[in-house]
Formats: sequence, structure tokens, C-alpha cells
Amino acid sequence: MKKVFDFLDDRTGYRKLLAHALDEPIKGGSRWLYVFGSVLLGMFVVQAVTGVALMTSYAPSETTAWASVHYIQFTQSGGWLVRGLHHFGAQAMVILLAAHMLQVAAFGAYRKPREVTWWLGLSLLGLVLGFALTGYLLPWDQKGYWATRVATNIAGTVPIVGAATQKLAQGGPEYGSLTLTRFYALHVGVLPALVVFLVTAHVALFRKHGVTPAAKADLSKVESFHPAQLAKDVFATVFVLGIVLVFAIREHGAPLDAPADPSSDYPARPEWYFLGLFQLLKYFHGPLEVVGTVGLPTVVGLYLFALPFLDRAPTTALRGRIKAVAPLGIIALGVTLLTVQAIRDDARDEAFKKQRDKATELATTANRLAMGGVPPAGPLVMMNQSWELKGPLLFDKHCAGCHTLRDHGVEKDRTAPKLDGWGTEAWALSMLKDPDADDRFGRTFYKGEMKPIEKDREVIAHFLASQEKGSPGEQMVKTRCTTCHTYGGEGDDSATGLAPELDGWGTQEWLKAQILNPATKKTYRENALDLDRKGHMPRFDDEMSPDDADRLARWILSLR
Amino acid sequence: MTSPLKSRRTLIMAAAAGTCAIAAAAGGPAAAFVLAPLGIEGLQGRWVMVLRLEQLKEGEPKRVAIVSERRDAWTLDENVELGSVWLVRRGETVLAFSAVCPHLGCSVNAVGREFACPCHTSAFDADGKKKSGPSPRDMDTLETKITGPLVLVNFRRFRIGVPEKVEA
Repeated sequence: MKKVFDFLDDRTGYRKLLAHALDEPIKGGSRWLYVFGSVLLGMFVVQAVTGVALMTSYAPSETTAWASVHYIQFTQSGGWLVRGLHHFGAQAMVILLAAHMLQVAAFGAYRKPREVTWWLGLSLLGLVLGFALTGYLLPWDQKGYWATRVATNIAGTVPIVGAATQKLAQGGPEYGSLTLTRFYALHVGVLPALVVFLVTAHVALFRKHGVTPAAKADLSKVESFHPAQLAKDVFATVFVLGIVLVFAIREHGAPLDAPADPSSDYPARPEWYFLGLFQLLKYFHGPLEVVGTVGLPTVVGLYLFALPFLDRAPTTALRGRIKAVAPLGIIALGVTLLTVQAIRDDARDEAFKKQRDKATELATTANRLAMGGVPPAGPLVMMNQSWELKGPLLFDKHCAGCHTLRDHGVEKDRTAPKLDGWGTEAWALSMLKDPDADDRFGRTFYKGEMKPIEKDREVIAHFLASQEKGSPGEQMVKTRCTTCHTYGGEGDDSATGLAPELDGWGTQEWLKAQILNPATKKTYRENALDLDRKGHMPRFDDEMSPDDADRLARWILSLR
Repeated sequence: MTSPLKSRRTLIMAAAAGTCAIAAAAGGPAAAFVLAPLGIEGLQGRWVMVLRLEQLKEGEPKRVAIVSERRDAWTLDENVELGSVWLVRRGETVLAFSAVCPHLGCSVNAVGREFACPCHTSAFDADGKKKSGPSPRDMDTLETKITGPLVLVNFRRFRIGVPEKVEA
């Protein structure tokens, strides 16, 4: 074995390189506070590995992005775990970055001669936030879509270059497939390349100048990186990875909201680490808006850039540098307060909570529907073809002006029967008992047309709801109701009567026919919509497809 | 006279620089490629049928989806929801407001007969006029017309986050 390594070392000189890495002298000795840089590197590797894995299943386009992420999350074996690690790993990196930066600031590690190391670090911070921003959009779900739209609109508020920047980011004047391909290219191509390049330079410069020991450290004590600091770094990385793993398992992956829908209403919120910025935007009104979107972030950026020059104190002790680093403390405090305020505002906002619940419910339904596969036209088409999602929308649009059903429609404006329980034995029974009751035909033009039935109500109602052929109820209907009603097309005044067909009453087919056109004899007689039949239910086949009528009928019957 | 060694080095350096320049020239087409979206035109205003007048109740805002044709890069969709607008009936006329908040583009909600944005707390009155919050302008009104029983809206998009209402 030794021979193999000797051969490798002879040809590559790897032992020298390894020794160079492991023997790095650490003035003042190893510390837990020095772990953040290494943990960040470790987490970046985790992101790269899980990221490449995700790339093998993800398909960036308007019609496939959400569906492919759904597949990763719910169908592909182990997909949820990889996605969960990537999702929570990203959040861990943001926290680690903040910790790394605060440690560097507290120890004065940005000071001469380490200015360039500091600037490279700031650039890396920007890149990580860039990763977060571009990655948030890729699932093309409601959450990512609406939050990212706000972000690109913010870019659009920058004076002079804003409009062009926004167009370039979006791949055009509006969100579309090019937005996804561009964000994807940034996320998996441009940003990783830049990170690798800058991290290499950042670490090389760090090795050139060495660690900045704490002001009170005993400088006569010098440890090498191996073993004490290396052990701390490895332990910390494993610890953070463990936390990320716990989150990924607890959430069983990462949340997936309903598919992005540009015509929907959605209470957009950014990921938690941008909530401070989000909250800030509430305070800058009208022409001052650009102060919140661009002005303050730019000032913060400039301050961070200039920090090595602002700090001219002769000591690295925090006490002597308090003036220079105080703004950083204020920024950290400000971000924290704004974030807390944003969370509190939402917790107190009942309207927001309601919208949030509605969005969660839609997400659950969409995720369930997609388990059966998403059509090539995309997840929005899938949702449009679903009776449980489309039904209530159709009802609100076409029926709720006259009818009510559950919480759809306004009771005081109702002019037609209440549809709760339509098609059930109870509904039929109440109709036989008192057709003119307020929640039946009492508010219609046809009040008084049907006489209450005294005898065998239960038997008839049972038949109407069950449509059980050959039952005693059917015989009664055939003999006693067909004076006004038809049954199987037969009835005494079958050409002119007001009352509907009872064969198939309460079924989806009957209801669908009734919605499309009540005057086909399948439900009511051909003259049902004649001008003298004032207030009769209108036909909807000119504005609703047969498929939609079917979805609507199915939804109404599902609520029985 | 320069030494032969020095002039050879200059020549090699020049050749290397030339090679780099040729390779970098690929950056030209690549840059043009990436900048191409700057030339993509925004959506033109278009009249879209949204609903029947009788479906609107006097003074009560109703959100309707704008269903129309869209060309998105390589995709042509003839029946797609482009966005939504708020409609308010005033007698025999209909007001239409873009549902996109002029602040940063979130989707504006109706609160009773008025409007509010769920993102950064911009609020607008029943006529879409700005009441409070960060929005730099009133809600964007859209033209409407009524043809027989049908309401049509001239659907457009406007620039976000600026005080003036200009088309995007």
C-alpha cells in the first residue's frame, strides 16, 4: 500500500500539499469561533452534491418545472430527502454566513492587510443570496413565483438601469419560460462557477495572512490546524448537517406550494431571511420607495465595503473599534427587529391568515391531484380539469347569483332553491312535504305550482333519491306524479307541463343536462325557456363546456 | 538591437494574446444572445371579453381572469390566463382596475368595496385611489366597454414602482 502512495506522491507531490493544509499555524490556538468558514465550505459541497442530483430530475419550463419538483418530492425514491437537504442546507448557509461575518467583524479580521479577503467574503455573501433568490423561483410554485416577482420588480425600481435590468433578469417584459431558464442558468452555472473562483481566492488569501487571533489571545501559543482545529471544524460541520437532516426529515423534504398562477390572488412573502427587507418596504411611501428598495441596501453595502478603511484603531480589541463596527451592530439589530415585526404583523392580520389557509388548502389539493400525473399542458391545466377545484369556481360564477350551496352565494339575494343536499332523500322529502318552503321553491316564480304530497312521502322520496327501478316508489311516481311530471318521457301533459322529468332525478347526468339546457325534455320540457316562463333557470351551454358542466354537477353532488 | 531571445518571447506573447482575443470573440455573440430579451416587446393592449354585465352586482368588486392568447418564447397558448382585473359595476358602466399592485406587483385583494394589497399594506378606496401605504400611485384603471350583455376590458400592463402610469 505504501508503495502506491509513494508512487502517487512522487508523481503529484500531494503529501507536501496535504502537509501545507494540515500544518497551517494558528496563532493563539484553535477556537470554536473559527469553525464557520469551514462549515460553510462543507455546506457548499452538500449543496453542490444535492444540487447536481436535483438537476438530473428537474425540468425548467412553465409546464414542467412544478411537475418535475412534485415528482422529486413525492414519487422519486429518496427525492424528498435530497430536496429537503438542499432546501434546509441553503437556509443553514445564510445563518452560517451571518455568524461568519459577525465573528470576522468582532475579531477585526477585515483589517489591514486582509481587506481583499474581506471583500471576497462580501462578494460570496452576495452570491449566496443570489443562489437563494434564483433557487426560490425554480419550483415555479405560488410562493416562489410571487415572491420572486416582487424581487424582480424591486430591480425595476432602480433609477435609469432598472427597467433594462428587470427585462434581462426576466428574459423579457413578463414572467415566462425564459425567466425559468435564465434563473436556472444562473443558479446551476454562473453562480457556482463564481463561487468556486472566489472561494479559492478567499481561502488562498486567508492562508497567506493567517487567522486574526483574538485581542487577548496568548500569541506565544501556536497550534497547527491539525488536529485541534480540524477536529472542531469537522465536528461543527457534522453538527450543522445533523440539524439540516432533522429539518429535512421532519418536513419530509421541503414544502411545495400550488403551481404558479399569474391570475390568482396570493399573499406573497419572501423566505424568512429576506423578511427584514420585506418589512422595510412598508415604511417607504410613494417617491421614497426607492430608498427602501435600493437606497438603504446600497448604503449598507458601501459601509461593509469601506469598513477596513473606517477602522483605523491601533488595536484589534473590540473596545477600541466600537465606532467603526457599531453600524454593523445596528444593521444586525435592525434586521432582527424588522424580521420580528414582519412576523408579528402577519400573526395579527386575520385577512392574511385566511388567505394563507386558503393557499395551503389549494397546495394540498394540487399536490394530491398531481400524484395521478400531470398532463403535458402543465399543472394549471390539471387543476382546471379537476371537478373539486373547478366546481366551486363555476358555481360562484354561474349559479351563486340565484342559488346558495354551503357558503357559496348570498342568502338574502337568493331567488332559487337552496341546493344543500339536493338529490338526497331528505331533500326530496322536504320537497314533497312543502314545495313552497322558503329554501325550496318559495322564492321562485313557480311558488304554488306543486301541491304537497300527503301519502307515502317516504316511499316516494326513497325512490327519487335511489332511483331504484322496480321499487314500490317507482310505481307510485309512475301513477301519481305524471299528471304534471314526466317519467321516462311519459306524462299526461307531457308537451306543456311545468314539472321536470323524474327518471334519473338527482343523478349527475340529470344535473349536467339541467345546467347545460333545462329545455331538452331530459329535465324540463322543450318550452321551459319560452318567454312566458319568466324566472325559469336559464341555459348555460353557451358559456360552459359540457366537460365543465359535468365538473360542476359532480362537485354539487359531492357535497350531499 | 534587441536580443533574439527577447524578440522571440515578444512574438510568443503576441501569439498567445491573439489566441485569447479570438477565443474572447465568442463572447460577442454570447453577450448578444444573453441581451436578446431587451428587444422583446411587451404585451399590446387588447380587448378581452370577461363576463356578462348581469354577473356584476352594483358597487361590488369582482375579480375576473383575463383569458387570451399568449406567445411565450417558443410556446403559443391560445387560451391562457394572462392575469386578472377587478371589475366594479356603476349603473350601466363598469370600472376596471388592474389587480397588479403598482407598488411591487403583488396581487391586490378586495376588502368589502375597497382594495388592499396583502404584501406591503398599500390600501386603495372604492375608486382605486390610493388611501395609505407605500404604493407610488393609484390602482391602474383599464378601459372597458359593454357590447350587448358582454363586458370587455382592454387588458394592459404597467410599469411597477414608479409614480407615473406608463405601459410596461
